Amino acid sequence: MITDFTTPPPLATEPPAHPEPHRDYRDFRGQVILHRVTKIFPGGTCVLDNVSLRINQGEFIFITGVSGAGKSTLLRLLYGAEQPTHGRVIVDNTELTRIRPRPLALLRRRLGVVFQDYRLLSNRTVNENVAFVLRAQGMSPAEIRRRLEPTLKMVGLAQKGHRFPHELSGGEQQRLSLARAIVNTPTILLADEPTGNLDQENSLLVLEILKRLNSFGVTILMTTHDPYLLSQAHHRLLRLHQGHLLEVSSPETG
Amino acid sequence: MASPRSFSSPSPLATFGYKVTYLLHETLLGLRRGGWLNWAAVSTLMVLLFLVGISLHLAWGLEASVGSLGNQLQISAYLRPSAQAETLVPTVKALDHVVDVQVITKEQAWKTLLIDMGMRDQASVEQQFGQNPLVDTLRVQVDALPHLDSVAATLKRLDPIEEVAYGSQVVKHLQSLQETLRLGCLTITSVLTLATVAVITTTIRLIVMARRREIEVMQLVGATAAWIYLPFVLQGFLFGVIGALAAWGLVLGSQGVLQDLFGTIVALPFLQFTGEATTNRNWQLPLILLGMGTFLGTMGSLIAVHRSSR
Repeated sequence: MITDFTTPPPLATEPPAHPEPHRDYRDFRGQVILHRVTKIFPGGTCVLDNVSLRINQGEFIFITGVSGAGKSTLLRLLYGAEQPTHGRVIVDNTELTRIRPRPLALLRRRLGVVFQDYRLLSNRTVNENVAFVLRAQGMSPAEIRRRLEPTLKMVGLAQKGHRFPHELSGGEQQRLSLARAIVNTPTILLADEPTGNLDQENSLLVLEILKRLNSFGVTILMTTHDPYLLSQAHHRLLRLHQGHLLEVSSPETG
Repeated sequence: MASPRSFSSPSPLATFGYKVTYLLHETLLGLRRGGWLNWAAVSTLMVLLFLVGISLHLAWGLEASVGSLGNQLQISAYLRPSAQAETLVPTVKALDHVVDVQVITKEQAWKTLLIDMGMRDQASVEQQFGQNPLVDTLRVQVDALPHLDSVAATLKRLDPIEEVAYGSQVVKHLQSLQETLRLGCLTITSVLTLATVAVITTTIRLIVMARRREIEVMQLVGATAAWIYLPFVLQGFLFGVIGALAAWGLVLGSQGVLQDLFGTIVALPFLQFTGEATTNRNWQLPLILLGMGTFLGTMGSLIAVHRSSR
């Protein structure tokens, strides 16, 4: 079944017609909402055209589409690296329209973001790369130590805490990047082509970790164009095509 | 994954403690990564503050000299070589606004000069220089500063008096010197201040660029702008502290040399660099240098950080 999402889905509680920036929307906890979002870049390229989407807490969503379809832009809108040209973006109770730096920083502490190119700090060890996130948020050394071990264990890097990123394989580097994204117990995890540089085996390993996280209630939004991964996942799948977001399948429709 | 609910929050004091530790750690890391750029920033700041320090010292010395000279209500009247001062005393005493007249004979003056020059054997000196070359002098005390000029003019018109000298002439000379010095210092300080801020801004910006990846990750995981950029601002502040201390050391170290230099150039040996005239303000100098250094350092890094965070 293919559904065009240009018509906004009915929301349980409609956001106000004139959104108040930075206001908390308690009714949308753990949710991701795009409401008639259009993104046009300064050159005039329209990447997203009147897109509406609602992701509920604890959902696992795949977004697919050809390169340049706007998958990364969509995620960038969700962690506030981009602002929509029109429309509204609400993530975990926070309106991102014209959001100020401090509320944005506080929102990002509740998000985890993973990239295709890992974005690790090459001059810091595995432990330091993960601890860096917590230190950057002002956590105490005791709390950092407490969180470090279980997180590394979860991604299978507990024995490699003192290695540097260049001493790890691609799969391990991506798992380290995942560890960094989840060490802060995010409510929503945004993964931008996390398996883009990985072989099938490592891709499945990353997918398994994401599934486990999802089982703890973390909302997962992952972009990919890996058909094998999509066939293995059995999750809700959306496709970005010429600026429109189309629902390809849901777990029910398979 | 550790549960956030089981997180027991530490005491505010402990939180403050590790936040300060983190900031200091990041600041030192920045200094280490800055390499030679740090020294470029510190040395520019040091040169600027050194010049400011020297200018201030000189200005204070001049100011003190002007002040002390301005208070002197005494006129020295030098007679022709053959004239006797004693004969002139009643005439001078009779003048308006004259309070007291003191005679210094050329013999007394010669003796004093020899003692000042450290020569005890008068006979041998006279053998070298010939006869006493000095003249009789009258020290005329005037009742008030505004009358100095008129009394001096009257004295100059009296027959055996050849030359008069009094404080206000020196004061005028010193004031014009002070004015020139102030202008020169202001120009040099302004240019150097701009150069210093530019060097510090560039240094901090280069360090920020070198750590761009880390800053990106920090922004991504929700570090606030203050948390990210405060170490860079602290780094600029540290440049200021180090630059100011080094400049102060240089000022202290070069006082003797400068005293000699200015004594030769300006020929005003009574200008004080280390004497009483500036001693009571000496404690102000490190504070001024420190204040200026830290202000410029912090300003430079704030500009850099502001530009980088846009």
